[in-house]
Parts: sequence; structure tokens; C-alpha cells
Amino acid sequence: MNTISIDFQPFVDWDNSPFVLFDHQGKILYLNNSAEILFGYVSKKELYDLALTYAPQNFGYKTTTLTLNYDAFNFYAITVGYENEEQLSIRFYNAPRIKASTSLQRDKLATTDINLLLEANIALFKTKNKNNLQLLTDPDIPQFKIDQNSFSKLLRKVLDTFRTSDSICITLKLLMGEHIMIDEKKTPVAQLSIKADDRYADMDEEIDILSSQCHINSSFHTYSIKLEIPLIQ
Amino acid sequence: MKLFYTQSEQVQHILKGLNLTKTLFVSSIIIGEPHIGKKSLVRYLFPDIPVVSGEDQQAVETLLEESDKLIITDFEKLRNQESLNFDNKRVIATANYVANQHTIDSLFAFIYHLPSLKERPKDAVHIKSIFLKQACKDLMIEESSIDPRSIPMNLSLNTKSLKKSIYQYLMSQNMNKEEIQQALHHYFIQHLEGNNGYKEHLGIYEIPLIQAGLEKFHSQLQLSQVLGINRNTLRKKIHEHHID
Repeated sequence: MNTISIDFQPFVDWDNSPFVLFDHQGKILYLNNSAEILFGYVSKKELYDLALTYAPQNFGYKTTTLTLNYDAFNFYAITVGYENEEQLSIRFYNAPRIKASTSLQRDKLATTDINLLLEANIALFKTKNKNNLQLLTDPDIPQFKIDQNSFSKLLRKVLDTFRTSDSICITLKLLMGEHIMIDEKKTPVAQLSIKADDRYADMDEEIDILSSQCHINSSFHTYSIKLEIPLIQ
Repeated sequence: MKLFYTQSEQVQHILKGLNLTKTLFVSSIIIGEPHIGKKSLVRYLFPDIPVVSGEDQQAVETLLEESDKLIITDFEKLRNQESLNFDNKRVIATANYVANQHTIDSLFAFIYHLPSLKERPKDAVHIKSIFLKQACKDLMIEESSIDPRSIPMNLSLNTKSLKKSIYQYLMSQNMNKEEIQQALHHYFIQHLEGNNGYKEHLGIYEIPLIQAGLEKFHSQLQLSQVLGINRNTLRKKIHEHHID
């Protein structure tokens, strides 16, 4: 067999599974594109601690099966390895995503300025609640196609979960470099994040169902909800 | 164009929400007590959208098939609500109450609750002034001769009771002797019966007479002189009719 030198780095760069190489002090020596996005949701220290915890006792590699959730990222295993005292690597295995059972019904979608629906839902919320509400939106988010009625129902229910909160902060931003596949097409994503100091979880299941119907990824936290909305054109 | 006046913050939020979604294909419902301005609000915001009553099931279904914009009034009267499909339609409905919360929740994206007039005192005062102007015109009464503060604000049935109380007040304040006799005549035709009619209906004359007299002359002595009856007789009648 002929031995030729192959540069494997681009394969790692573009691997859909996050890969991070730390030095012995926890500084990042290398990270691939997927890991770059992951760092938007989890701290460097948390991942370094994770790598230390699951590192093999001797030089080499160890794969551990475990469930990890960081917002929209779900992993079912990690491989941690080191070949010298200076470098420690960690690779995450993406958990398979359940394919949406609802297919995209384009005839139900209408090109929409999401800000209009947000403002209207805030007005509706204010008819019932006196909470302080702050809205920060990204003016660069283009109009996109969405089922206006279902999405409005979803927003109403999401906001209702914060009905007892003193203050609510709504942020809408484009997730740079992130895409989700819809109808085999790479679709950019915007994130709507609603954070408060109190939240009811009584409607989470319903919100999750409505989100799936709209092809939106929802994630629930103690005091916040995040919706990843595909900007379908 | 008709205007919709409100000083209520809650109603202003409803107006804003409906205005923002005016061009979108979303379903909205406005729920609230009868006679609080739900239909006026919808007609003001959507003057060109066809209106159909929920009482007419067939018309609702036909219009839903033919049009992508529709106003449904009295939504609570509509049967088979669960079978309706509002996909890609601009539907605005009004309802006096929610018959089935689950159905309303699944059909409508925007569910607004319009407060009653009792909860909107400033709006009630404004509506009263509009009704008063119209009533004065209808009854040919000089508006400047009326002190609006003296008209009782009956909001038990919102605008309906308010309007009625204004007309009743104005008519009662402007009746002459013949009209009062005519009204009593009509009343006696309806109510006179039994074997003690004179005594039973004497209060209709005596109670307002004594009450007005006491209000005007302040003392029973002076009133007995004005009425030309004995002071003891007056006191007896005051006691009989439970006048304080």
C-alpha cells in the first residue's frame, strides 16, 4: 500500500459533530465549525471539565455513552482522548433528530414580517397583563414564509407562560451560520428567545406540538423559552 | 368613516393588535358582555369585510368557502364550531361569552377580552354625551337646557341601559300635564283591577307629590300649607308611603 500524506483537517472542520482540542490549561487549540456554534450555548470551562471527567486513565481514547443537551444540541455520546500531556480532545456524537411528522404545507404559508406578529401578540398580552416587556429585534431578519395563524397561536401560548413574571425580555436574532434542513433545503434560522424571572410550564407540551407543526424547534428552560424559526423563502 | 373612541388602555391594546394584523391571515375573536361596542369596533377597523351572524350557520359556511375574509358576529350562537376551518383566512369574530374554551383556543390565534362599560368609566361618559346629543335631537329638546350630570348612569346592560335611561330621563323631564295624564291613562288601563283600586294607586300621585314638595319646601309644616292639608294628615301620608 502506498502511503501518501493526507490532510484530514478539512474533514474535521466540516464534520457535523463538534470537535474541540484543548491544551493542558483548558485553552482551546482548535475547534471545528460545529463546535463553534456549540460554544454559543455552553461555556468553554463546562466542556473542558466534561473532557477531564470522561478522559481515559491512560493515553488513548475513550468513548462514553451519555445524554447531553445544550439548547437545540442533543448528544448521545462523547469520545475523549489524549496522546500526550499537552493536548486533550473531545468529540460529541449528535443524537439523531426525530424527523418531523408534519410535512411542509406551502399553501398554508404566507410571506410575513415576523415583527408584526410579535407586536400584535405583545399588544394582546398587554390587554391581560401589566408586566414590563422589552422587545429587541434584529432589523436584518428578512420577511419569510410562515403559517401566520398557527405561529400566532404559538406566540400567544409562549407569552402566556410568562404571565406572572415581573419583567419579560424578548429577543429576536438571526443565528449566523446555522441552518436547518427543510424539504431537503438548507434554511437559515432565527432565534426567538423569551426570558423572564418566572415561568409556568403548564403549556410546554402544547407549545412543543404547535412548534413542530410550524417546523420550529422549541427548547424549554426554567425561566426561558427559545424558538428556532426557519426562514423559509 | 366611523370613529371608535376609547380612553381605556386595554381597548387601545386591542385596537393596536387588530390594526397590526389587519393585512394578515389570522383569526381573531373579541369576547365581552353584550352592548359594549364589539361590533362597532370590528366595523370601524374592517369596513369592507362581509359580516355574517353566527345565528345563520349556512351563511357562515357559504361565506367561508367563497371568501378569505369574514366577520362573524354572535359567534357563540354558531353550531358545529369545531368543524370550521380558518386556514389562510382573515376571520374576525365577536362573542358575548365563550361557550367552549377549548374550541375557541384552537380556532383563534388572537383572543381579546373587551372590558364592559363599567370597567371603562371614561368611555362610558363619552358614549353618554353622544347618546344625549342624539336623544335631544330625536325628542326636540334644547341640549343646553340639560345638565348631563343629573342623568343617572345606568350601565347594568352597558350601552343599551345607558341609552334607555337617557331617553327616559329626558322624556320624564319634559312632559306636560296632558302627557302625564296620557301616561297615567295608559298605566291604569293595564293595571287597574280588584276592589280597592283607588287606594292602591293613590301612591302614584301622592308619593311624587310629597317627595317633590319636601325637596322644594324642606319642612312638613310649610308643605302642608302649600298643599292645603292638615299637618297631621301630611305626616300620616308620609308614614303610609314610607317617605323619609
